[in-house]
Amino acid sequence: MKYKVIHTTQYQYAESVSHCFNLANLVPRNTERQRCISSRIMVSPLPTTTKQRTDYFGNHSYHFEIQTAHTELSITAESLIDMQSSPAALKLDLGMSYGDALQYLKLSDSVDVMNAKEFLLNSPMVKISDELADYARPSFALDRPLYDCVAELTSRIFNDFQYTPGFTTIATPLTEVLAHKRGVCQDFAHLEVGCLRAMGIPAKYVSGYMETLPPPGQEKLVGADATHAWVSYFSPKEGWIEFDPTNDLRANNQHIVTAEGRDYYDVTPVKGVIFGGGKDPILSVSVDVARIP
Amino acid sequence: MSDSLTPPNQPLPTVASQRQTQDAVSLMSEQGRGSAMYPRPSQDIPDQVYADDGSIKPEWQYVLDSLHNLGPKELQERQEKARRILRDDGVTYNIYDEGLAANSHWELDLVPAIIGSDEWAKIESGLLERAELFNLMLRDFYGPRELLKQHALPAEALFGHGGFLRACQGIQVPGEHELILHSVDMIRDQQGTMCVLSDRTQAPSGAGYVLENRTVMSRVFPSIFRDSHVHRLASFFQRLRQKLISLSPSDSQARVVVLTPGAHNETYFEHSYISNYLGFPLVQSSDLVVRNGFVWMKSLDGLGRVDVILRRIDDVFCDPVELRSDSHLGIPGLLDVIRSGRVIMANPLGSGVLENPILLKYLPAISKQLLGREPRLASVTTYWAGDADDLEYICANLHRLIIKPIYRGTSMSSFWGGDLRPESLADWAVKIRQKPHQYVAQERVEKSHIPTMTATGLEPRPAILRTFAVATDNSYIVMPGGLTRVGLGVGQQLISMQAGCPSKDTWVTATEPERVNDDATTEAGQAELEALLVSLPSRVVENLFWLGRYAERAEASLRILRTVFMLINGEQPISAASQRVLLRAITEITDTQPGFLSASDEQLANPETELLHIINDGTRSGSIKSTLNALLFCADESKELLSSDTIRVINDIRDALDNLEVSLAGGLSSAPEEALDPLVIPLMALSGLMQESMVRGVGWHFMDMGRRVERAVQIMKTVTTLITPEVDKAESDVVLHAMLRSMEVLITYRRQSRARAGLAFGLELVMLDPTNPRSLIFQFEQLQHHFAVLRRGDTNFTALAEEDRVLLEVITSLKLSRIAQLVEVSDGSRQNLALLLTQLNKLLSEFSNLVSDKYFDHRIDPQQLVTTFWGE
Repeated sequence: MKYKVIHTTQYQYAESVSHCFNLANLVPRNTERQRCISSRIMVSPLPTTTKQRTDYFGNHSYHFEIQTAHTELSITAESLIDMQSSPAALKLDLGMSYGDALQYLKLSDSVDVMNAKEFLLNSPMVKISDELADYARPSFALDRPLYDCVAELTSRIFNDFQYTPGFTTIATPLTEVLAHKRGVCQDFAHLEVGCLRAMGIPAKYVSGYMETLPPPGQEKLVGADATHAWVSYFSPKEGWIEFDPTNDLRANNQHIVTAEGRDYYDVTPVKGVIFGGGKDPILSVSVDVARIP
Repeated sequence: MSDSLTPPNQPLPTVASQRQTQDAVSLMSEQGRGSAMYPRPSQDIPDQVYADDGSIKPEWQYVLDSLHNLGPKELQERQEKARRILRDDGVTYNIYDEGLAANSHWELDLVPAIIGSDEWAKIESGLLERAELFNLMLRDFYGPRELLKQHALPAEALFGHGGFLRACQGIQVPGEHELILHSVDMIRDQQGTMCVLSDRTQAPSGAGYVLENRTVMSRVFPSIFRDSHVHRLASFFQRLRQKLISLSPSDSQARVVVLTPGAHNETYFEHSYISNYLGFPLVQSSDLVVRNGFVWMKSLDGLGRVDVILRRIDDVFCDPVELRSDSHLGIPGLLDVIRSGRVIMANPLGSGVLENPILLKYLPAISKQLLGREPRLASVTTYWAGDADDLEYICANLHRLIIKPIYRGTSMSSFWGGDLRPESLADWAVKIRQKPHQYVAQERVEKSHIPTMTATGLEPRPAILRTFAVATDNSYIVMPGGLTRVGLGVGQQLISMQAGCPSKDTWVTATEPERVNDDATTEAGQAELEALLVSLPSRVVENLFWLGRYAERAEASLRILRTVFMLINGEQPISAASQRVLLRAITEITDTQPGFLSASDEQLANPETELLHIINDGTRSGSIKSTLNALLFCADESKELLSSDTIRVINDIRDALDNLEVSLAGGLSSAPEEALDPLVIPLMALSGLMQESMVRGVGWHFMDMGRRVERAVQIMKTVTTLITPEVDKAESDVVLHAMLRSMEVLITYRRQSRARAGLAFGLELVMLDPTNPRSLIFQFEQLQHHFAVLRRGDTNFTALAEEDRVLLEVITSLKLSRIAQLVEVSDGSRQNLALLLTQLNKLLSEFSNLVSDKYFDHRIDPQQLVTTFWGE
């Protein structure tokens, strides 16, 4: 299955911006499930310098600097992605138990495990807490397959939390999300990452897109798709497995990955520093995920 | 007096203990060993001076004898002299708690810390090895991370440290070494063995203070210093300078800058001192910009490319785009320029990861992996709570361990368990178990003591030494000695500058004079140094401009105050109307409206309260105090361009300002001039020095321009308030007199006025006489002259620049004016004069804006597009 993703980010400023430096994580990375065939980024006004590089986490970072005064900034990323068919139907429910996984993580000296430990610790936006551990614990039993534990945790987040756009911002701390049981996909992904780490399981934050299908008989609206976020946990010997708590799903070939990191901080789609611009810039984002025959 | 020579050994001296000590001294003297100056401390105080057999170690003998021979009185005088030099040089260490303006004076204890050169050779080789080791670790952490793969270090120890900056992965520094500067805090333990407490690998501070301490010591004790054959410091700084230049990625002449967080930083003195010593411009982050993939310094002649940055800012604050987004000290886009190798930073960003104290625990294993052997220098025994066994040990022994967070960026500071009550120890045990990766514990090492001057003579004080190593072409070199700091009391654990602990010069002494290897390459840098000094950050130039303006403004305010005091308190009483005009002039000239403008007759008759406010109310804009505070701020910001004499005079102003309350305590009525003298005198000295001891570079031209602009403003204000209104004949003499006196042309006027008539002649002197350096036209002609000099050699423009046009218009208007018309009165005022002054005033403010727009930086503060969390 091939997809074309067009992701446009626009900022409107109250006052002129004389100069800006930005860093975008918009070009999808290659994973076991997907290959990015081509990608281009268009920025308006035209940047003075641009640079693409692979960052610490293996994501594609795009740096640009604009020296033209502007009141509107627009960044469009257009990517063509080839998704492999659904991940091999492993009999994961017979996989390693949670208890064995913990033991293995503790004792193994493989490089995979060493690298996974990066995702076991506190990160800029996810702090492990007793509250997170208390919430996660009922799903985890030492003799239970780890996959089952995570699948159940994912389902519980899906059921216990209400998807409420506008209730949180990206700066809302996890404790508040947990207290009000509301949020959006980023909050749920952060929450599950935090729960998994609190239970001693390495977990990544994954940002990307998900294809949305219109109700039967209706035509799909262009730009109606959205950026999405989910989690990936590390199962010793089995590798990284992705779950989507917003939709209570194992990530499948509708989940297109842009970037992975410890949390949103590592994969922020567009960030940067502007000179001028006045107060409260207006942000609008539109995403279009289309199947290519 | 001689009693003060025999120090009590106990922290709290009592009569009894003093008596005992005196007995001990006489006993030792009889035995012909020990020092009357510094008797052997009691057994429970580890001491560096005495060997186990009770004899004084040879390296200490000479210095202690010499100090003894000087006698207590002489020693006191030398300490005073040292204090004076430090103060005159403006050596400060700002202590955060005291508010922004506070300057805390640097404390130097006159007894040097002494290390024999044989012993130093061992310490030095240990430090060299350690610097190499840390360099290899840095390279590995941001590269292959073999140390983790080989299990020399647990993964969590690196990944969980706040100083591990993932954005810095793969940054390359040219040359053999990534780590350019490496500092170590070390102590001598009870056995006399050197033991490292911590490593400083970001932007180690202290080297500049070492240099200043050395300068003072060699001036205060020239002969003791000379005869002790102390190893010199200069080559360390020469190597540092060479290394920084060699890092430059550019083919053309290297431009190196020193990046400081600004004048409020605790070690700002050192930043300006080092930048001056090395001959590199001192910049703040707002002086630098990233454009087109390079870093540039904003200077008067536009943007100049920067190749190497010696940073005094912690790495996480250096770039708000990729590092801490809430930083105001950063340069947006910097990290990516570093990544592409177009600017080199020393130390490289990310080097803070080496300050992780967990590394001390694993250092033997790491060293075996990287160097094939354990390190020669011992580190303090360190436990990491992230290790299961260590965690249990720590929790069981909290009461006797020092607990530290692994990352300095957190708000928590380290503490000694012995200082806490059992309940809070239990709380800590819980806290540590919650985040074990984030804490280490260290054994408490009793620091060895060295003699230190106190009010009652020499006493033992615990000492800590900070050493400095710099990378050279293929190795490191270590500064001989370093910065010694001593505790305030016997056995004190925490020794820090923040706590006000004094410092010492550290002498590595040889039995023979050091052979000075004059490195032929060292002076080659002199020519390029001068070239570098030509371009200054525009911020510095702006501050010099305002330094000139504030100095002139303060002088003008003081002059009009003195003039008015003199007339009011003079022999001949002046009328109430005259008094009103004069007091109003004060309000106008000092810009402290409404002041006397809206005063009642009673207030005008008793002006003292308001006058005191105008002098002393720092919160009131325009007061003498607030103007001088602004002047001091500008001086701090441009410190590196001021001569040492100028800095001394600036310090006099600061002191006079601090003492203003006292000088004014008696009120103004008794002796107003005496009260203001302490301010007037250093201001006069400052203005003299600005003329006589400053190189006529760009900086001076702008400072003098500031003076001229301000003086022109003040002349116009004075003439407007005193001369424009029509007054009675009797008052007319008083105001003319006031104007001439405050403009300092009264004598000239008197000498010539037999031939010429009153007001018209006075006005001509003040406004139109090109030979009077205080006349209005003189100021404008000087401004013209400054621009002519600054543009010399610039052949790009043959047409007049905007600022030249304005000046030409001002001067022409002045020259074309007729005095007879200006003094004419109609409808109660001199309207022609008022009209001319209004026009000139408008032109002058236009001129001032032009200069500001063209030469000074107008920074727009950056803001973040997205706000994300950072930190713990």
